[in-house]
Amino acid sequence: MNKKIQRSLAVASAATLIFGVSAVSSAGAAQKTVYLAFQAPLTGPNALTGQDELTGAKFALSEYNATNPTVKVELVLADDQGDPTVAGSLAPGIASNKTIIGLIGPAYSGATQASLPAYKAGGLAMISMSATRVSLTDKKAPVNGFPIFKRVVANDKFQGPALVRYATKGVTSPKVYLVDDISAYGAGLADYAKKTITAAMSAGKDSVPVNTSDYTSVVAKVKASGANVVIYCGYAPDAAKFVKALRDGGYTGVFASGDGTLKADFPVNAGKAAAEGARLTAADVPFENLATAAQMVAYTKLTGIKVPGTYVTSTYNATNIFLTCIKQGSITRPGIQNCITNGTFKGIAGDTIKFDRYGDIIGGAAVGAFTIKDGKIVYGGVA
Amino acid sequence: MFAVLIDQFWSLTIAGIALGFIYVLISLGYTMVYGVLRMINFANSEIFMWGTFGTVITSRDIFHYTQTSEPAKGAKLVLVLVTSLLMSMLVAGLTAVFVEFVAYRRLRMKGTNRLATLISAIGISIALQEIMRLLTHSRPVGAPRILEKIILTEVWGANIRLDTVITIIAAALIFFILERFIKLSRMGKAIRAVSMNEDAAKLMGVNLNRVITTTFLVGGLATGAAGFFYITVFEYTKFNIGFTMGMAAFTAAVLGGIGNIRGAFFGGLSLGLLEVYASAVLGTQWKAVTVFIVLVLVLLFKPNGLFGEAVQTTRA
Repeated sequence: MNKKIQRSLAVASAATLIFGVSAVSSAGAAQKTVYLAFQAPLTGPNALTGQDELTGAKFALSEYNATNPTVKVELVLADDQGDPTVAGSLAPGIASNKTIIGLIGPAYSGATQASLPAYKAGGLAMISMSATRVSLTDKKAPVNGFPIFKRVVANDKFQGPALVRYATKGVTSPKVYLVDDISAYGAGLADYAKKTITAAMSAGKDSVPVNTSDYTSVVAKVKASGANVVIYCGYAPDAAKFVKALRDGGYTGVFASGDGTLKADFPVNAGKAAAEGARLTAADVPFENLATAAQMVAYTKLTGIKVPGTYVTSTYNATNIFLTCIKQGSITRPGIQNCITNGTFKGIAGDTIKFDRYGDIIGGAAVGAFTIKDGKIVYGGVA
Repeated sequence: MFAVLIDQFWSLTIAGIALGFIYVLISLGYTMVYGVLRMINFANSEIFMWGTFGTVITSRDIFHYTQTSEPAKGAKLVLVLVTSLLMSMLVAGLTAVFVEFVAYRRLRMKGTNRLATLISAIGISIALQEIMRLLTHSRPVGAPRILEKIILTEVWGANIRLDTVITIIAAALIFFILERFIKLSRMGKAIRAVSMNEDAAKLMGVNLNRVITTTFLVGGLATGAAGFFYITVFEYTKFNIGFTMGMAAFTAAVLGGIGNIRGAFFGGLSLGLLEVYASAVLGTQWKAVTVFIVLVLVLLFKPNGLFGEAVQTTRA
């Protein structure tokens, strides 16, 4: 019941937002204002992801507006709570609002999949900053995003092998124990990681459901298997409990995990000692490592945040692709779609972004490599 | 398949017993209320969750321990642990009494049927969870390490860790005290009298409201103690941990025979061991499956649980 109320509230608020916006735009049509929708979880249990990402979009927009452009751009916030059901009921409203010419997001893969039918029907171009599910850009998948969906984040097909590569780096005769959390994300990433683990390297595999408290038996299995590398595919809260149980159980080898674990919460909740040396990958490179000093000052001034969260870089890049197209004069849905599909863009690091036919960056987006040092996440280059 | 079980049997067993005792204390919260009201207190899982925060608040905000500080030692260690335990019990006990006042008493006074209180209990459990979610901004909360997890000794290849030993001994002690309270004290007798026959107990001059409030309080205290042990062993909490733990403890109560305090004891312990063994042998994803298969089998042959429901026999 609780969820339903939340959902209907979310739908209602989104509807108000959209109708409100269309009213505003008809009044101010002469000033040439166009709207970009931003779809991510902004409330609810996953709100942190969306709120972090939003700062990237806002910052890109503030830089754009500072150049006094002829076309004004504003954001329309669409809160899907990361929930496919909410996303599915929210998308038709956005798709039917013709003043919205492009969509930044959605943040989550499940929400993206649920939103796709409406956006495809409306011909609304979308660039996701964090939806990593492989099938979204797989031409053989029954539901893919062709032709409107693009993403500026490395999908799990790239991250899985990169994670194994990084986890076993410098380990002599690695024995890898792979653990996933049976979530769509964790199991998916584990599948792609598994493909690069040879039989000789493999020490075993286990699946532990999300929200498990007691990891004793997995620790026992890891120890019995003689593994010296443990790779966990899941989210930060569980990874923190797991690495703590491993260290308390006497395991001294490498602990590695993917972007689900790359949260500032992870070293805090795991404790300094247990988290030390953990190796993490991300489908994104931290914003502060790429932005100039002046940009960081402006970012902090705008958002009040000193250390940007995850996916700020990819959101910034996604927003800038739209803004570049708008600057070039594409202010209709087909125009934007055409511009994104055929254009070549620059990322914040000066990298070239060009999309392949099915929506991934040609050559794959970079997978960042991190370690935990003294309770802090430290960037260590590309995995 | 069984290699892990054989290789790590004693470590698994000790971990299973510690987990089992946490279940025992939570399932007391379910079983006591059921014994008296013949109703499942669905808010008990959230009472547990609030209890875990009692310990976190004590160590983090009262004693100012952080994630990076050294574990406590000597007298300070005992002081922090005891204060945390009492705080958790207090928070959970008060929450339980609050639940009784808000979700049960008013409806009972109005003579509504039992289903209404069932729904109001679910309602208040959602409210308790959402309040904590807002207070913690939906984030998980890691508890600072107070008790260093020293390996005391090694028995048959298993490390005997201090935190599990303390959990087992202290939880058993708390269980024993509560069981004696219900068996021997005047209030305990009144609780059992209400459980056996509410009308007769009322005619004998038992103050029904006071008995029910005390039942909730005692159940809450036990659940709160479980919250403390949970934090001591796992050092982690979140607004939604109540669901999984509550579900497990409720299963334990049913397994042992709900309403029966001894049933909660054996139900909790067997569940803890079963979970740990099943995850070791079959893989952790099969844990819940195994537990529920066993539960179904037990209920098939003993519909009232291992020790029987306490309808006529609440004898602590």
